[in-house]
Amino acid sequence: MKNALADGGQQAAARRPSDTAPAARRRSLIRLTRPWLLLAPALVVLAGLLLYPIFQVGKISLQDWEVKFGGGQGEFTGFDHYGDLLSSELLWKTVMPNTVFFAVACVGLTVVLGTLVALLLNRLGTTWRAICSVSILAAWAMPAVTGTYVWIWLFQPEEGMFSQLAGALGLIDPATTNWFTERLPFYAIATLNVVHHGFPFVAITVFAGLLTIPRELYEAGMIDGASAWQRFWKITVPTIRPVFLVVTILSTIWDFKVFTQIFLMPGGSGANEEVYNLGVYSYVQAFGQDDYGAGSAAAVLLTLLLLLITVVYIRTLFRQGEEDL
Amino acid sequence: MKRRVIAAAIALTLGVTATACGDDSGGSGDKDRATDGKGKTLTVWIMEGTNPDARPFFKEAAAAFEKKTGAKIKVEYQQWATANRKFTTAIAGGADQVPDVAEVGTTWVPQFAETEALVDVTDEVKKSGLSDDLVEGLKDAGTLDGKQYGMPWYAGVRSVLYRKDIFEKHKIKPPTTWKELQDAAKTLKEKEPKLISFPVAGGAEMFAAPFIWGAGGELAEEEGGGWKSAINSPEAIKGIEFYTGLATKDKVSPAKVNTWTEKEVGDAWKKGEIAMSISGNWTPKAFVDENPELEGKLGAVPIPGPDGGMSRSFLGGSYLSTFDTENKELAWEFVKLLTTGEFAAKWAEQTNYFPGQNSELEKVAAKKDPLVEPFATQMLEAGATVPKTESYGKIQAAQVVPGMIQSIITGKSSVKEAADKAAQQMDDIFAKDK
Repeated sequence: MKNALADGGQQAAARRPSDTAPAARRRSLIRLTRPWLLLAPALVVLAGLLLYPIFQVGKISLQDWEVKFGGGQGEFTGFDHYGDLLSSELLWKTVMPNTVFFAVACVGLTVVLGTLVALLLNRLGTTWRAICSVSILAAWAMPAVTGTYVWIWLFQPEEGMFSQLAGALGLIDPATTNWFTERLPFYAIATLNVVHHGFPFVAITVFAGLLTIPRELYEAGMIDGASAWQRFWKITVPTIRPVFLVVTILSTIWDFKVFTQIFLMPGGSGANEEVYNLGVYSYVQAFGQDDYGAGSAAAVLLTLLLLLITVVYIRTLFRQGEEDL
Repeated sequence: MKRRVIAAAIALTLGVTATACGDDSGGSGDKDRATDGKGKTLTVWIMEGTNPDARPFFKEAAAAFEKKTGAKIKVEYQQWATANRKFTTAIAGGADQVPDVAEVGTTWVPQFAETEALVDVTDEVKKSGLSDDLVEGLKDAGTLDGKQYGMPWYAGVRSVLYRKDIFEKHKIKPPTTWKELQDAAKTLKEKEPKLISFPVAGGAEMFAAPFIWGAGGELAEEEGGGWKSAINSPEAIKGIEFYTGLATKDKVSPAKVNTWTEKEVGDAWKKGEIAMSISGNWTPKAFVDENPELEGKLGAVPIPGPDGGMSRSFLGGSYLSTFDTENKELAWEFVKLLTTGEFAAKWAEQTNYFPGQNSELEKVAAKKDPLVEPFATQMLEAGATVPKTESYGKIQAAQVVPGMIQSIITGKSSVKEAADKAAQQMDDIFAKDK
């Protein structure tokens, strides 16, 4: 990289024989450093807030780390924590399935619901569009903690609205049903919560994408006799595919690392092992049991998993771009 | 430059001598001027919520302390839910970041002492003539290998709280054995179906522990310098079986209680939805304050033993500990001020907790308040502590016991399976810390 730039500098110098050698060197130096100088402020912030913590987490995951007065003490243990983590039954039977299935369900539902709402927004007149957008944004603006407590309250055994409703319809016996203690209902409620909180972002982004599609395309489709279903799949989706990819990537990242919404639910903070996801597991290991090494290893695993997914998505995105060319 | 170094050196020497002087006067038992703290400020961390409004109390204490030593007090209030992490972070940060004095929950003392952040005050306590007056169970909770890490400040214990009016209405007697407890709960369920007869709260470790202890079991036992789980011993299992059986067999605790912690049980008390439960000595007054209709309707008895007597119950509370900072002598003075005499009594009175000294506790018990005396009896005669090791803090953080109770009362595993699993989890954590 450095050599290539330096070569470029020499070529430039060669093209202008009148230049003196020192001036050329200075120019090449400027060319070399300028982009980095311009990038520096952002890089410094990123390095401080992101790279350094990531490096630390990686380092701690290879140690038995202990809090001592005036600083931590680490003892290098190699990949022991990863070995323990990857060989634990809890990870494969509970933590991973919970994390993955929950994320897949959330991403799917969020994107589908968001898209449907975007299509609706696209068809509405100005007034209704404004009303709908505002109510969607309200769901988005709700802090995760508040939202979670509202969902908990709705599904509260016996007193909660949904419990009473289901009880009145004879679907459950409210006195013996507690939705928070079973894995499936627990995650169903968490999914509702996360989808409700996440779909507005998709809706607004996809709606913005929809606005960029020229009306002529649809008119042409209609003249050719395409149904609404066909118009959606043959015109809308291909035109704004990058938008879908971006919202899917972001939703995936967010839904994989959900923590608050699980941790705050009854039994979600560690009492009920069945509902651990990677985020909660890592937290309980590190900050509950003071096993910072094992907690960090779980966090690194989550990061790697997300990196992998993101790489796959981005490659798809770029391949898409090349095909279009 | 050179001059500045010299000046700094002089300042340092002066500082060291000044501290040394402070040491001397403290050591020689100078009562009036124990430690000169002019111009110094002590940072103090206090837990929020114990005292409904701690501000006036600390204003008064700070004024008294300033008068005595010239030092100022800066109180920073902490939340129970997040304090442990905050302490850990501060301890890792060292002497600059830890407070000079802090309220430390008794179960946290081993954890912080292990990091060498807390000051061993055994000698100071002896010198002040306080050591014989401390409530034994409480003193024990903060003493490791013969070293005491702070002064017991206040304590609480859980007993059985019940609705006197409802018991009288149905002619139920307050339970004195487990059988009576079970019968009372069953009668309540039948006669008062709208009330929760006896909540078996899945998230409340200290509701379950008395039954394990009462049956003669232990959570864990010390064995040859290490710890070993005992939660799946036949005795412990008998206790767990009885306690969870109240929910699974007698159905006196509805499913919604399965995930409750003590907080939710307290909220339900305030709404008048509970007929009888394990409850802390600090709760009756808080319930009545919140719901005046409960006034005069509450009664308490110590947690009964299986065939009479009492089951031991967790004796928890807080220490005031000093951290290893440059102000530690001064900090100890402040600890003494708060944990003895006038301020200790006042704090106990305002918070509805018990003071950490026998002499003060006996004064409380002597008042013969029917909502205080049973708890005081429980505390003096049947208090217990959880295993005194740093590892047990981790076991609590991993919610091993609540997890066990929950998996039994939700019908996911049998008592034996759940207890074996909990024992395994405990042993894993003990093994890690060896």
